[in-house]
Amino acid sequence: MDNWTGVLRLAVQRKQERTIPSEVYNQGAYKITPPVYLDDSGQPCFYMMNLGGGYVDGDKYKAEIVLGEHAHMLLTTQSSTKIYKTLKVPVTQQTDIQMASGSYLEFVSDPIIAYRHARYLQETVVHMAQGSTLVYGEIITPGWSPDGQLFQYSRLQLKTIIYMEDELVVFDHLRLCPEERPIDGLGLLEGYTHLGSLLVVGELATPDIFETLSAAFGSAVSPCRIGLSALAGSGFSLRVLAASTMQIETVFEQCRLMVREQLLGKKPISFRKY
Amino acid sequence: MDDDLLPLLQLCDSNLPNGAFSHSFGLETYIQEEKVIDKSTFAEWIRVYIEEQLVYTDGLVFRLVYDALAREQWDEVWTWDRMITVQNFSQEAREGNVRMGQRLVQLGLELYDSPALAAYQDRVKAQRSFGHPAIAFAIITQHLHIPLPIALLSFLYSSTASLIQNGVRGIPLGQTDGQRLIQEAQIPLRQAAKRIEELDKNQFGITSPGLELSQMRHERLHIRLFMS
Repeated sequence: MDNWTGVLRLAVQRKQERTIPSEVYNQGAYKITPPVYLDDSGQPCFYMMNLGGGYVDGDKYKAEIVLGEHAHMLLTTQSSTKIYKTLKVPVTQQTDIQMASGSYLEFVSDPIIAYRHARYLQETVVHMAQGSTLVYGEIITPGWSPDGQLFQYSRLQLKTIIYMEDELVVFDHLRLCPEERPIDGLGLLEGYTHLGSLLVVGELATPDIFETLSAAFGSAVSPCRIGLSALAGSGFSLRVLAASTMQIETVFEQCRLMVREQLLGKKPISFRKY
Repeated sequence: MDDDLLPLLQLCDSNLPNGAFSHSFGLETYIQEEKVIDKSTFAEWIRVYIEEQLVYTDGLVFRLVYDALAREQWDEVWTWDRMITVQNFSQEAREGNVRMGQRLVQLGLELYDSPALAAYQDRVKAQRSFGHPAIAFAIITQHLHIPLPIALLSFLYSSTASLIQNGVRGIPLGQTDGQRLIQEAQIPLRQAAKRIEELDKNQFGITSPGLELSQMRHERLHIRLFMS
C-alpha cells in the first residue's frame, strides 16, 4: 500500500429488516462513525470524517464501501471537505464502491470548499450489480480566501466512473481550473458560483420517476439553473448552477424525496447535521 | 496534398447529409434565453464551444481514435465510442451524435471500402457500439491516409461551420456575417488543434457545466427549430 494518509473500508450486509456493518476498518486520519439509524426503515447512515479537519499538501485518502445483497445505506461526510493550500502535490481522494444486487446507496457529500492555491483530485469508481440503485451527489463551492475573493483555488478535478455489470454506464469529468482561465463565464458557470451534481443510477430509476421530476423542476420557480436528463444507461443526472450551497441542497432534497418515495416507499431522511 | 484535397472538401461540404443541419447542441437554448442574440455574442459562444466541447471531448476522441486505428488497435476505438456516448449527460445531444455518427458511417461505406468502418457499423447494428461523428470521421480520414493534423483540423472545421450555419438560421444572422464568423473561427480552430495534440487521454471528457445545462434544458423548450 502506497503511503495513504487515511484509509477506510466499510462493508454492510442485510440482516432481516436491517442493514448492519459486517466490516469496519479505519487507518490514519480517516474515520467512519458507527451506524446511526435515523428512522425505523432499518437503513443505517454512516458519516465519514477527516480527523485533520481538512486536506493538506500531498494527502491521499482512500475509501472502500461494499454493499451486500439488498443492503440499504446512507453515506455522507460529517462536514464540508476543506482543501487547504496545496503547492506541491495535489490532494487525492479515491473512493471505490461495490454494490451487490438489490442494494441501495444514497451518498451525498457535503460541499467541497477549496482554499487559495488548493489542488484536488477526486476519483470515485462504482461497480453496480443489476438491480442495485445509487444516488450520488456532490456540491462544489467557489472556495474560500481571506479577502473574500471567489475562485482563488487552483484546480478541482472530480471523476465519477460507474459500471453496471462491468459495462461502463457513466463517465463524468468535472474540472474547474481558475489558474488556467476564468471559469465563471458563458458555457462554464455562467455567472453562478456553486455547482451541484446528483446522479440516480439503476434500473429502478425508471422513466416515470424521471418524468415526474422533470415536470416538477420544469414548472417550479427556482433561483438556480437546473438541468435534468436521462443517462445512456438506466437512470438520470441532475445538474444545478446556483448562488449558494443551500439552494443546491434544496433541489437535491426535492429530488431525493421523490426518488425515495417512488423507489423505496420511504420517507426522505434528513442527515441531521445542523 | 492534391490527392487529399478533394475527398476532404467533400467530407467537409455543408451539403454532406450527416444530419448536422438538425442539431444546435444547446445553442438554441441560449438563443431563446436571449444570451446569444447577434454576431458578437454568437462569436463568444462559438469560441467557448470550440475551446471546451471540441477540445476536451470530440476533438480529443478524434485524435485518440485516429492514433488507435494507425496502430490497428480497434478495441480502443470501440472503448472511445462508449466513453464519448456515456459521458454525454444530455439525452438529446447524445442521441443527436448517435444519429449523426450512424449516418456518417453509412455514407462512408457507400463511398469507401473501409474495413474499420464496416466493423463499426456491424457493432452498431449488434448494439455493441453507439455511433459518433468524431469516430466515423476519424475512421474515414485515416482510411484515406490524410495526415492527422489536417484530418483533425478538417473535423473541427466541419463541426464548427455547420453549427455556425445553424446559428445563422436560428438567431437569425445574415449570410455574410455567417461567413465572417467561419473565417474568424480559423484562429481558435488552429489553437484547438494544437491544444488537442498536447492533451493526455486522462483529460478526456471535461464537461462545461453551462453548455451541458443548456443542452439538457433544450428538452423542455416549447418551440424548437432543432432536435438538440
